[in-house]
Amino acid sequence: MSWLGLIRAEFTFVYADIFRRKSLLFMLVAYPYMITAFILLFGASIGTAQEFIRKVGVDPVPFLIVSSFMIMSIIGVVDDILWRPIYDEHMGTMPYVISAPTSRVAHYMAIPLPRLTLVVLIGSTSVIPVLTYYYSYAGLRESLIIMGLGALGAVLFTTLAMVIVGLLFAVAEESWRVLNVIRPLLLVLLGAFYPRFLMPLYVRAVSWALPPSHVVEAIQRLLMGYGGLEVMLTLIGIATALFVLYAPLGSRAITLWEGRKVLKGVKT
Amino acid sequence: MTVAIDVKDVRKRYVTKKRTGLIRSRKEVIEALKGVSFKVMHGEVVGLLGPNGAGKTTTVKIIATLLLPDSGEVFVEGFDVVRKAREVRRRIGIMLTVEKGFYGKLTGRENLEYFGALYGLSGDSLRRRVSHLMELLELKKLGAEERLFEEYSLGMKARLALARALLKDPPVLLLDEPTLGLDPPSARKIRSLVKALAREEGKAVLYTTHNMFEAEIICDRILMINKGVIVAKGTPNDLKARIPRIRTVVLVVKPASTSEERVLNAIKTSVGNKPEIRYTGEGYAELRFSIEKPEEVLNEVIKAVVAQGYEVLRLEVEEPTLEDVFMYFTGAS
Repeated sequence: MSWLGLIRAEFTFVYADIFRRKSLLFMLVAYPYMITAFILLFGASIGTAQEFIRKVGVDPVPFLIVSSFMIMSIIGVVDDILWRPIYDEHMGTMPYVISAPTSRVAHYMAIPLPRLTLVVLIGSTSVIPVLTYYYSYAGLRESLIIMGLGALGAVLFTTLAMVIVGLLFAVAEESWRVLNVIRPLLLVLLGAFYPRFLMPLYVRAVSWALPPSHVVEAIQRLLMGYGGLEVMLTLIGIATALFVLYAPLGSRAITLWEGRKVLKGVKT
Repeated sequence: MTVAIDVKDVRKRYVTKKRTGLIRSRKEVIEALKGVSFKVMHGEVVGLLGPNGAGKTTTVKIIATLLLPDSGEVFVEGFDVVRKAREVRRRIGIMLTVEKGFYGKLTGRENLEYFGALYGLSGDSLRRRVSHLMELLELKKLGAEERLFEEYSLGMKARLALARALLKDPPVLLLDEPTLGLDPPSARKIRSLVKALAREEGKAVLYTTHNMFEAEIICDRILMINKGVIVAKGTPNDLKARIPRIRTVVLVVKPASTSEERVLNAIKTSVGNKPEIRYTGEGYAELRFSIEKPEEVLNEVIKAVVAQGYEVLRLEVEEPTLEDVFMYFTGAS
C-alpha cells in the first residue's frame, strides 16, 4: 500500500468537494476573516488593548490572528476526521471503506492533510502580513515558524482524533450531534484564545492531554518572547510523544467502532 | 474447480426495537438466516434467489466481512471471514447497491482512483487499471469518465460499481442485485461481463437477483433461499425437473359448427380438467389446459378435437420457467 497514493487520493477527494461546491469554497476562504473580525470586535468591546497586553503580555491583534489560524487548522483536523464516517454513512460508501484492507492509521493520517494545506495557505495571507507589519523582519520570520508549528500541531492531533472518533461513534453511532459537543470543548482546552496559564488547574490538566495544546503554548511563548528554544522544543517533544502514544489507541478505537458496526451490519 | 466460498451452517438473528409508544419499545427478534450452507467454486456463477427479506443480502454481507454471523463458519479461499477479515477483504470485490456508494462531486475516474488507493493500488498501475475498467464497462464510450457521479444515470452507476468491484482484480465477486432497475443495454452488458469473468478468468461469483430470466441465463447453479433457509439448489434445469411435471398445453384450433361445450367436454374426458377457451381476432381459438404427462394423452386429445370437426393449427407445451420453480419452492403465489 502506498501512503502517498492515499494522500493523493484524499487531495483529489477534498479539493473536488471544495472547488466544485462554490458555497463551501467561499465559506472556507471567508471564515478565518469573519472569525478574526468577530474576535477583534468582541475584544475591543470588553476591554482595551493595554489591558490585554498587561494580562497576556502581547498585542491582541497578532495574538488573536495567530489564535484564529491555530484554531482553524487544529479544529479543521478534528472536523475532517469526525465528519468522515458520518459523510461515508450518508453517501453509502461506508461498506467499501470498511472493507478496504488499508491501515486505518495511514488512512486517518491522510484524511485531514488536504484541508490543512488549504488552511495554512489561507492563514498565511493574514498571519504573515500582520506579524510582518507589527514586528518587521523578525515578525516575518516568526510568522513562518508559526505557520509551520500550526500545521504540525494540527497533524499531531490526528491520532487523538482517531481515539475520539472510535470511542464516541462506538457508543453514539455516527451522530453529527457529537461534533457539536466536541468542538466548543476543544476550543477552550486547546488554550488558543485563553492561554493555558490562565486556566484553572483541573482544566489545565485535561488540556495537557491534548498534543496540539503544547504546540499552541509553544507558539504563544514565541509571540510573547519568553521561554527560549529549549522550552519550545520540550513542548513540541511532549506533543509528539503524546501523538505517538495515541497512535495504537487510535487504531484500536477505530477497530472497536468498526467491530461494533460489523456486529450490527454495515448499512448500504 | 477449487472452492472459493464455503458457507457452513450460518445463522444470524437481528434484534430490532418495535416502537409501542413515544418512549416504550419492544424487542423483536428476526431470524434472518437459519443454518445456511453452500459452496461457490472458482469459475462459476452461483445465483442466490429469494423474495424480499429472504436473507440474500445478509448472506452477502457476512461473506463480505460487513456483518458478523451468530454461529457457523464462512471461508473465502480458505480464510475465515471473522478471524481473517483482512485477508478476505483482499480477495473479494463487492457491489452492494447501485444507486449509492460513490462521492457525488467526484468524476467516475476520480471515484475509482480514490477507491483504488484505498485498496492499495497507486501510481501508473492504478491509472492503467482504471482506464482498462472504464473501457471494459464502456464508461468511456458513454462519456462518463470525466462526468461527476451525481450526474450519472442508473446504468452508468451500475457499471461504475462493477468497475470498483473489479479494481483489485479479486478472485471472488459478491454482487447484490447488480442489475436492479437498469435499462436493458446496461443489464445485458453487466450480465455478459459477469459471465465472461467466471468463464475466462475463473472468478467465483455469488450473484443475488430477483430476476428469474437473468438467473437462468447467467447462473451455473442456483440457490433458492426463503425465510433464511436454502429451500432448493441445483442447475436451472435440475430445479425445473424437480417440480411436479404439470405442463400447460395450448391448442390453437379453427372452430367448426360443433358447439364449444362439446369440444371442451371431450378434452375434459381425456385430461381431467376443463380447458379455458379464448377466441383470437382472426377467427381462431386457443384452448388452454394443464396436464401431468402430456406425451401420454395428447394424441387422444387431438383426436377428440378433430372428431368434433375442429382443425388443429398449432400445439404448444409450455415448459416450467425458473419463476415456476421459484414460486413452487418459496410457496409464493
